[in-house]
This record gives sequence, C-alpha cells and structure tokens, in this order.
Amino acid sequence: MSMSAYYQTRAAHHGVVTSDWLAQSQEAATRAVVTGGQEIVDGGKSGRAFSVIDEFNNWRKQPDLAEAVAAIRALAAVIRNSEAKTMMELEIELKKASDSLKSWDTTSISLTAGCDLFMRYVTRTSALEYEDFNSARSRLIERAEKFGEISYKARKIIAMLSQDFIFDGCTILVHGFSRVVMEVLKMAAQNKKLFRVLCTEGRPDRSGLRLANELAKLDVPVKLLIDSAVAYTMDEVDMVFVGADGVVESGGIINMMGTYQIALVAHSMNKPVYVAAESYKFARLYPLDQKDMGPALRPIDFGVPIPSKVEVETSARDYTPPQYLTLLFTDLGVLTPSVVSDELIQLYL
Amino acid sequence: MPDTQALVMTFLTSLKNATARQTAELLRSVISQQRVPYTNQAGALIDAVKAVGEQLIAANPVELAVGNIVRRVLHIIREEDLSLTTAAIGELNLSAVSDDENDDDRDGNTTLSAAAVAAAARSTLRPPSLQTLLEDTPVSAAVPQTSSSGGDSEGKTADKSSRSRKLKHDVIEAVNELIQDIVTCHEQIAEQAVEHIHQNEVILTLGSSRTVSEFLFAAKEKKRSFRVFVAEGAPRYQGHLLAKELVARGLQTTLITDSAVFAMISRVNMVIVGAHAVMANGGVIAPVGMNLVALAAQKHAVPFVVLAGSHKLCPLYPHNPEVLLNELRSPSELLDFGEFSDCMDFGSGSGSPLLHVVNPAFDYVPPKLVSLFITDAGGHNPSYMYRLIADYYSADDLVVQRRAIAGN
Repeated sequence: MSMSAYYQTRAAHHGVVTSDWLAQSQEAATRAVVTGGQEIVDGGKSGRAFSVIDEFNNWRKQPDLAEAVAAIRALAAVIRNSEAKTMMELEIELKKASDSLKSWDTTSISLTAGCDLFMRYVTRTSALEYEDFNSARSRLIERAEKFGEISYKARKIIAMLSQDFIFDGCTILVHGFSRVVMEVLKMAAQNKKLFRVLCTEGRPDRSGLRLANELAKLDVPVKLLIDSAVAYTMDEVDMVFVGADGVVESGGIINMMGTYQIALVAHSMNKPVYVAAESYKFARLYPLDQKDMGPALRPIDFGVPIPSKVEVETSARDYTPPQYLTLLFTDLGVLTPSVVSDELIQLYL
Repeated sequence: MPDTQALVMTFLTSLKNATARQTAELLRSVISQQRVPYTNQAGALIDAVKAVGEQLIAANPVELAVGNIVRRVLHIIREEDLSLTTAAIGELNLSAVSDDENDDDRDGNTTLSAAAVAAAARSTLRPPSLQTLLEDTPVSAAVPQTSSSGGDSEGKTADKSSRSRKLKHDVIEAVNELIQDIVTCHEQIAEQAVEHIHQNEVILTLGSSRTVSEFLFAAKEKKRSFRVFVAEGAPRYQGHLLAKELVARGLQTTLITDSAVFAMISRVNMVIVGAHAVMANGGVIAPVGMNLVALAAQKHAVPFVVLAGSHKLCPLYPHNPEVLLNELRSPSELLDFGEFSDCMDFGSGSGSPLLHVVNPAFDYVPPKLVSLFITDAGGHNPSYMYRLIADYYSADDLVVQRRAIAGN
C-alpha cells in the first residue's frame, strides 16, 4: 500500500498520534527514502549533493508553513544552486525540478499547484522585463522568498473577508484542522464575536481534537462530535466552515475525508457551506467522481487487529462538487464556485 | 466646498425619493466644483467623492443604488487616471531616452521602472488574480509619484497642467455617460424582449416595475401576442396600476392576489420581474412577495427572469438579508388605525401592545431560484454576476470610507 506523503505530513502536524500509526509511518518513511534516493541523481550535475526533494521535505516539516510555500522555497533553492547562464537554461532546470517534485508526491494538490504557479510566473517574468540575467535571477529568488509572506498575508485577508459572515450568536460547524479556518475563528474571537463551534473528531487523524484544544485556549465554546453525529446536530448549525487541500476547476474542493458527507447534509438542510482557501490552491483538475483523482491512502488504526481478509477504505480525501458549496473565501476576494475556472483560465490560457 | 455641502444637505433630506440618476448628478457637481491639487489629483477627487458618498450611504443604507453609483464613480476616477498616466508614461519613456545623456540623476533604471510601474498600475486596477499573485503589490500612490517626478524635469510643466484639466474633464465625461446609461437602461433592456417572449405565452409578474412594463410593451410592439398575469403585490397593490397600464396598451391581463400565485403558476410559461438590487452572489432584493413567486416557479419548473439595470448591481454580499437590507414600513399600509387602535395602544397596561404589525418592504431571492438576469449589458446567469462587478467596481471601494478613518 503506497502512503500519501502529503496526508502523512498533515497527520504528523495536526493529528493525534498513536503508537501503532507511528510504527507504520516510520516503516513507510524508510521505504520512501530508498526509492527517493534514486531520484537525486537527475537533479543536478555529478558530484552535487543538492536535491530539490530533500529541500522540499525540510521546508514541509515546519507545521506552520503551507505546502505551496515549501514547494516554491525548494524551487528558489534550485535557482540559487543553479549554474545556468541564460533564462532558457534556468527554466529547463526549474521544469525538471518541478516535475520531479510533482512526481515524488502525486497526491498533494497544493504542491502541484504551487509548482505550476511558480513556473508560470518564471516564464512570464523572463519574457517581460529584464534584459540582464542576473537581475532577473535575483528577482525570481526574492519573489519566491516573499511568497511565504504572501501566503501568510493571504490567511489574514481571508480571515478579514469572512468576519462579516460570522454574526453574534451563530453556531459554526468545522471539519478537520485547517490553518486558514483557525485564523478565521481566531480573528472572530479577537473581534469579540460571540459564537459557538461544533467540531468533528475527524477520524483517523483525529485532528478535530487538536482544533478543539486550540479553540478552548481562545475561550471559544467548543463541542466535539463524532463524525457520524453531523446530521444529528445539523439543525443547530448556522454555517459550515471548511478549509481545502485543493480547489478544482469546477469550483469544487478536495479536502479531508468526510467533507463531502457534511456538505451533502448541510445542503439538504439549507445550511451554507463556506470554504476558506488560498488562491494558490487552485488546481487544473476536473474530477468527475470520487474515484477520479489519484489515490491518496492513509493507514487507519482501528485499535483492534483486523483480519487480513477484511478490506479497509483508506482514502484520505474526498471531492465535494461545487453545487454543495455556497461561497469560497480566498485572498482574491469572496468568490462563488463558478469564478474559480475563470481565474484558472486567465492564468493558464 | 460650501456649495457642495449645501447640495449634499438638500439631497439627503430628499433621500426618500433618491434615484441612481440623482446620485450621479450630485457626484458630478461635487467633482466639477472640487479643486484639485497639482499632484495626485485622482487621490483628491477620490477623497472628495468618498466623503460625500459616506454621508449618502449612511443616510439611507437600504437604498443600495446610491452606494452602487458612488462606487461606480470612484471606479471611473481610477480608470481615467490610469489611462491618462499610462499615456503620460508613454511620453515620459520617449523623452527619458533622449534626456539620458544630459541628466545625471536619471539612471538607466527609469525606463525600466516606468514600464514596471505601468504594468503594476495596470494590475492594481484589476482585482487581484492568480496571475499577479507572485508580483509586488505597489501602492497606488506610486503611480502619481512617477508623474510628479516627471513634472520636475524641464519642458514637461505644460503637459502637466493640461493633464490636470484633462482628468477632471475625462471623469465628468465618463460620469455623463454613466447618467446616460442609467436613463436609457429601460430601452436597452426592452430591446431584448423579443428574444424572450414568444407567441401565445403566458407571463406572470408581481407588483409594478417600470422596467417590466417597458419590456412587455416592447414585445407587444413587435406584434407578439401574449397574456399577462399580474399579482397585485400587497400591501401597496401596485399590481393594480400595472394592470391598468397593460390594458391601456391592449394586452390581455389577469389580476390575481399574491396568495393565488401557487394556484396559477402551472398555467404560466415564464415569470418576469424587476428588482430593487442584485447582490454579488446573484441573489436578488425584490419587493416583498417575490420569494414566494420564485419558489412557486422553481417547483413547477417555470423560468424566473429578473430584469435589472446595471446600476442595481451591488458588489456586497447579503450576509443577513432579512435584517440588514430590509426596510420596515408603516403598519398603516396593512391596518386601519381606527379599528385597531385599542390593540396597538402603547399607553395602556404594560406599555407594550399585544398586536405587532411587521411590514417589510423587501424580500431576498437566493441565486439558485433565478434562471436569468437581463441587464442592459445582455442576458446572464446568476453565477456570472461577479464578472460584471469586476468590470464596474474596484476592490478598494467596497467599504466607502475616508482613508484617514480606515485603520488599515
């Protein structure tokens, strides 16, 4: 069973770790290093130890850093270590590095989207403004470093935009641990809004427990639900807030397993579903159904041994179609799902 | 400024009858009477318009068209300033190349930064997008700084003063066009009537809207024969007036109560209504009773078409539509005080009467119930409204506040 590195990392940052899971993930990690080692060779000239994948993994380990930021920092490191003398050469090197990153973890949408975004930026900048190669190169590195700030600012912008939608006395249902949603709720608490949060447990990571912890620290009334209790409590809910691992071209989102279920229940009971996602998560994917994406598998620990004949559904994510989403809060503004494809077309075509 | 202040005061007192056109005309006089400084003229104009706009919006927040027009004018000022600046930078570019040998202060980066600033200025006017995500976000003040530095060099002062006059002139011309659009929006919408109303159709409408009546008359002119069901639109009963007008034009009309809409909807081919305002998500603020018609239409799969001029398009979202964007009118429209004076007596007993009368003026129709918006810019899906908003409004103007007050 191939593990999804992206969801491993997320669980490591936000999930509640059990010893069983730890053992499984360590075993998976050692396997990955063995296969990953063969990738290093193509990244650079002979004798160089630089590997874009290692660089990326270093950045990715920091819990507060978004995936796309880690990817773009890794590509910036590629530029810094590159010995290219012309823009064309640099672009080719970057393309190779970006491709190897993407193939190393095919399940991470922010990684793919971040790489693509940076590649588009590089192609556009090189053509436009700079005659001198060195100044262009330093500018690219500078912008890539700045991207971390952009990402951080993006979360602040999203938090500001969503403040109007949280009114006093409302009940918000959240699913999974999204740093953007955390920022939204933190800002609402700081603005002295009175609201209540219902938090799903989020098996198998149980990231909901960590979210409940954080919210309790902010003195926000929190109630934990098991994942199956969502329909039972949907009556008291005024709105649903989720983050997104990726926003696809149709305007739907790919997020932690369980999001689709919650959106369906909310839609059938006429509750709005709000998605908070930064714009660099927009990806050129168009899933037609749940199985249309590449599999992203996560080990699930049931606490008791399962007979080997019994299959387990280990997918870590699901796809929520756009008709179940009400609004998307992004750093580009408050958008309806149909705007997403417009933005992507403007960028890529 | 005292003249404009007097104008604003008289306008505010008559705000009950305020229309988009009057707001635009008022802002036009504000602009023409505003003195602009030598540099950063656009900033001065924007501040002046924002100051007046703040008062107008605060006076009657339910009248969304006023806020829309204020934001349109602000967007016009930014656009005109941008087009003038890019033209000026184009001239600057040419002259900078020739001045390079003479001027030591101007290093080789000037031509470069001018092009970069122009590109950046173009991007600041457009709403933020994925394309510009990685680029620097220059402050909009950077643009006038370039023009002022250009003004310092010899031989440019003549261009500068003509450009300052030009900005005001261009803005006033654009505002005149805006007023013209507002006035002629009915005709432009009515032109599209023939495409939507076919022979032997039955149309349903609620209350009375000038846009709707012009629309129906235009179809009648083109020799379409159709029938109209008019729901009377309690408690103001403006449907009665519309029915009279339609009959005067020779249209077969049936008048029904609002409660009869569900009963008659299965006999109807299309519902055509007007709107008070269209929100950014495609939702509609319409006279009370419209949500009922929309739900009936959805249940029986009847197309629900909303006619709205582009000045009714509001860039805000309806977070709590019933609370924020509604107007509660006098109960006298529902009840006769003479008969009910004892129930509604505030003087007796606990001071709070047992009978409360709520008379909301507006209803919110969610975007999923609307099939088509017909604006003077053509027919569109509710999910397309964001595009028109991006065309007509700047993202900076969503909250109309003077920059000194805004804490950002």
